[in-house]
Amino acid sequence: MLALSNLQVFYDKSIEAVRDVSLEVPAGRIVALLGSNGAGKSTILKAISGVLSQEDGAISSGAIHLEGDIISDKSPRAIIERGLLQVPEGRALFATLTVEENLVMGGFTRTRAEVNEGLDRIYALFPRVKERKSQIAGYLSGGEQQMVAIGRALMGRPRLLMLDEPSLGLAPQIVDAIFETIITLNRESALTVLLVEQNAQLALQVASYGYIIENGRIVLDGSAEKLAANDDVQEFYLGFSGGARKSMRDVKHYKRRKRWLS
Amino acid sequence: MDFLLLLIATGLVSGAAYGLIAMGFALIYKSTGVVNFAQGELVMLTAYIAFSLSNTLHLSFLPLVLVTVPISMAVGLVLERVFIRPMLGEPIFAIVMATVGLAVILRGFIIIVWGSQPFNFDAGISSTVVMIGTIPFYPAQLYLIAALALVVLAMWLFLRFSRYGIAMRAVAANETAAMLVGVSVSRIHALAWMLSAGIAAIAGLLFAANFKLAPDIWFQGLRSFPAVILGGMDSVVGAAAGGLIIGVIENLSQGYVGEGMREIAGFIVIILVLMVRPFGLYGSRDIERV
Repeated sequence: MLALSNLQVFYDKSIEAVRDVSLEVPAGRIVALLGSNGAGKSTILKAISGVLSQEDGAISSGAIHLEGDIISDKSPRAIIERGLLQVPEGRALFATLTVEENLVMGGFTRTRAEVNEGLDRIYALFPRVKERKSQIAGYLSGGEQQMVAIGRALMGRPRLLMLDEPSLGLAPQIVDAIFETIITLNRESALTVLLVEQNAQLALQVASYGYIIENGRIVLDGSAEKLAANDDVQEFYLGFSGGARKSMRDVKHYKRRKRWLS
Repeated sequence: MDFLLLLIATGLVSGAAYGLIAMGFALIYKSTGVVNFAQGELVMLTAYIAFSLSNTLHLSFLPLVLVTVPISMAVGLVLERVFIRPMLGEPIFAIVMATVGLAVILRGFIIIVWGSQPFNFDAGISSTVVMIGTIPFYPAQLYLIAALALVVLAMWLFLRFSRYGIAMRAVAANETAAMLVGVSVSRIHALAWMLSAGIAAIAGLLFAANFKLAPDIWFQGLRSFPAVILGGMDSVVGAAAGGLIIGVIENLSQGYVGEGMREIAGFIVIILVLMVRPFGLYGSRDIERV
């Protein structure tokens, strides 16, 4: 459904944030994009949504395809109208607007009838959000804000939803609830999901396929089970150290290998 | 007692003019983050446009407003496209300087086109004095207050309920997020300039009808500045309230203290207010959760 081929992104025409990234999100699946801080995950999502220009970034080579058509030269609005929406990192709600206004804005590209129908759907999905609908969004708790952010994106009627670190700064219980919602949406509404996460353990549980990105490059990809079983992933993303403490020699060995990998 | 009431009444009239001009400032500041130093010039330009329209078409007041406002909105759109849009993405300070440049250009342009002599411009409003209680008013003064009330109501409804009004507040709150829901930020900026020019037209027309049409009206833009700050830079409705308050305070201080007080009273008030509420009376604090 969504395919990136050899994407390269520069900020300010001088800082290379993403290099040669190719990835694919097949329809109906949940695909995870994993990596640590500053690896380039959010940059990729901004490139897909067409909002890099806000931060002086630009795609310098490569292409983004949605169902066979190139979308890398389309306006953010055209991309949304094709069913590709994003829940940005750190929620990015309209803090001074009420919860309901946030949701209504999510349906900015939709008709009034679709907005009303969408509100009912979101309120059914997140009863907590309904209780808070006339409150100022900036004063909600982090978990509630995340629900509003997901609801806002759903108001745009996505066929492919990109989530940028939905677990960021949330309590484990709330993270579980949010991930369950994502799975439900994927199963019941056939929503395709591109999940960007630092929390690899969580992401690999819900995703069917994963990519690992380091320093702007994809260094590893494979099915979720295969990635979860990979020694390097276990050690550096899942936090298993294989029992005993490591000697420095092994660490150095890993570093060599990692460099070679990238 | 009558003296006090008279001072308050005329204060409300000049306050209504400040309020309208201040709303134009706040509208552009709220959605683009730019303080438009050409707002007073925009008021003056649209007043002169109304004057020429009135001279060629011989319209009465209401039709004149209905013709002037759309033309002024078009002028606002063109100015935004020519002077501001190319600066998009530049530092805010650079854009503010561009508006200062625009202000100087408009001032010169008006003198080139219409000359520097003042005109009497009645805008089709009669000059028979109307008594409200014991206070005499010119109809033009009442029109000014009524215009402020109508514009405030219209803007409040627009920002609260219309899709583009909410989008305008959304862009003010978070530009990138607004783009991610499909709002075109540059289109919202253009809309802000358009509406601001429309409000400027109403302010300019009625200001000229109340006083006279002269190429120094732009100075009212600076005089309205205390109103914007008092109301809160990003509160369109607050700017109107700020205008009324400043107008009354200026008039009272002139009446009871003396001639020169009028010019400085407003600025004294904003310094005092900003010490207590740096975001103005109605402006929004930054919402921050930690």
